[in-house]
Amino acid sequence: MFDTLVGIAFSLAWLWLVCGIAYRVSVWLGARSRFLIPLAPAPRSRVGVLGRLFLEVFTFRSLARANRTTWLASLAFHYGLLWTLVMHLRFAYEVLPIFIVPFIRFGIWATLALVTGLVILLLRRLLIDRMRYISSPSDYLHLVLLLCIALSGVLIKRVWPTNLFEVGEFFRGTFVLNWMPLPDHAGLIIHLSLVLILLFVFPISKLVHGVGVVFSPTFNQRDRS
Amino acid sequence: MNADKHTPDPVVGRYRVIPILHEGAMAQTHTANATPAIQEASGLPGKLVADWHDRAIARLGELLKERRGLQVFMDTCTKCGACTDKCHYFLGTADPKNMPVARQDLIRSVYRRHFTLAGKLFPKLVGARDLDKPMLEDWYRYFHQCSECRRCTVFCPKGIDTSEVTMAGREILAAIGLGQQYSQEIIGKVNSVGNNLGMKKPALANVLESLEEDILDETGLAIRLPLDDATADMLVVTPSADFFAEPHVDGLIGMAKVLHAAGIHWTLSSEASEAANFALFTGQHDQMQAIALRISTAAQSLGVSRIVMGECGHAWRVAYSFMDTLVGGFDYLDPEHPRPEHICELSHELLQSGLITLDPSRNADKVVTFHDSCNVARGAGMGNIKGGQFTIPRALLRASVPQLVEMSSDTTHQKTFCCGGGGGLLTDDLMEVRVKGALPRAQALQAVVSSDKVTHLVAICAICKTQLSQVLPQHDLADVQVTSLHHLVGDALVL
Repeated sequence: MFDTLVGIAFSLAWLWLVCGIAYRVSVWLGARSRFLIPLAPAPRSRVGVLGRLFLEVFTFRSLARANRTTWLASLAFHYGLLWTLVMHLRFAYEVLPIFIVPFIRFGIWATLALVTGLVILLLRRLLIDRMRYISSPSDYLHLVLLLCIALSGVLIKRVWPTNLFEVGEFFRGTFVLNWMPLPDHAGLIIHLSLVLILLFVFPISKLVHGVGVVFSPTFNQRDRS
Repeated sequence: MNADKHTPDPVVGRYRVIPILHEGAMAQTHTANATPAIQEASGLPGKLVADWHDRAIARLGELLKERRGLQVFMDTCTKCGACTDKCHYFLGTADPKNMPVARQDLIRSVYRRHFTLAGKLFPKLVGARDLDKPMLEDWYRYFHQCSECRRCTVFCPKGIDTSEVTMAGREILAAIGLGQQYSQEIIGKVNSVGNNLGMKKPALANVLESLEEDILDETGLAIRLPLDDATADMLVVTPSADFFAEPHVDGLIGMAKVLHAAGIHWTLSSEASEAANFALFTGQHDQMQAIALRISTAAQSLGVSRIVMGECGHAWRVAYSFMDTLVGGFDYLDPEHPRPEHICELSHELLQSGLITLDPSRNADKVVTFHDSCNVARGAGMGNIKGGQFTIPRALLRASVPQLVEMSSDTTHQKTFCCGGGGGLLTDDLMEVRVKGALPRAQALQAVVSSDKVTHLVAICAICKTQLSQVLPQHDLADVQVTSLHHLVGDALVL
């Protein structure tokens, strides 16, 4: 019964995530974009704009200009997270695909990068007076939530293992509304509950910046004069 | 240039000093509210309306739909702090509300309260706030301590442009009866007379005549400053400060010399005797359009085939980036010059094609540094090449003076610091903000004055010139001459 509820929650969470992001994007695209406000000097070609967006999205170029510590911590966190997400794709397959194997093999380094990045970002927010001034409770809680997800994940992977095959069955079920039982494992339930919170918060919080950055007119417009 | 000479870093730069927060440091600052007469002349309420809260929220809702940037910027800020030490007003005042993210949050917190699920349900958790009287006062105070220079945007990983937020804030304030006297009065004068000064045609004609006499005395040449000459090929639109203020007027004389030497048949217009467009600062798009329209109407009625903008930073941003959107295309212009051009672009072109000759030895007594104006550097471009707004003025300067010294690279080009007086802040009642906001520029200048004996600071913006000549003495830099670029070009010109 409980497992079914968790399964339904995840099915709803996927729907919420997709619809939430789609709604946010529709709000952005629905707003009128009348004036050309690219940050100059701006690329003069569309290819140039793609290049600019690529550098901003994948190298955090502007952040690199601003502050080296934040930049390195952000890179470590975001790439650690990306790596970890790829690792989690294993749960989508009944047979482990070969491309995920190296990600799992070196997964511990990704986790380390992710956690280190988060800890530095959290420490900055706590220790620097300017950061404290601009932070709301949610700004700390986002970091704490991610940190707890990472640590509970490490726990059920390395310290207190669970049945990964059953977890896979459960997740594949959530996409086709076939709610399967979960392994009886308290650590896993904690990990999954935290992930549910993250999925719920993502489209209605600042976490949508990952999608929003490409809609920023200062980045995505070109110099058309 | 002394490439091998060690240039010490200014305080801002490698050895950057970030002030410790001093809450409320600039909370006493208040620029005068527009009088009822001034407000009503622009169709705005004369004083704060009774239902200001609801009207402000409604206007914010409209702006979110009208300006995609604003909507995206409200949602994507992660409070990463990258911008917190980048604003000249924060560096100069230590007031935390002058950190760009904190300035944006004045609106973002209200946005969250009224337009987001999380802010409606859990305001305290997500930093959502009501728009109460103290918040409204903070809006007025701190949106008038931003020069909309976009330096923070350079460092923002989400590309958030605080100037868009400031403009929205000021637009809402004006719409509920709290316009700023300085900017709204100027907008009114442009609408009724044609320039920020309210200088009517006969007065303008007199000024130009007396300038022609000055040039005749100086050079022995009959160099003209034509007004409303319907036979002209080129309309020059320059900030009205060029007609009377020092050091601006020497720039206008320099421009006249260049145009004379190149044999260009040009004119000024009494209808469009102002390049500036203060409606950019106040975020009022309807007014910005009306002011821009004066230029294209004048160009068409005079029948010119080229429009050239004088040395004015935000006017150049409007002409370069917004004119097309505001007043439609330029099919009446020469297809070879299908959009407004910058005077630096024109002079550079004349120099390259050999139509004018510059002799830098005529400026041998000067050691010059160049201040990139924010709106030119980050709001526009120049000359159909990426980064032309940096290379073209410098190429002109190098041809005009023997020694050009660069200030610290953290304070020039795209990372240039605002002079401290832009964005509608060039008023006496904001003098404290202006002096403090000029600190980073003054520190960078001080460094090159010590290391290279710089004598002249060159700018291509009327606001920069007025602001810096007024505030540099307060930073012990009274000996540095603030100069128009075309003053030096004019002096180097072989006539």
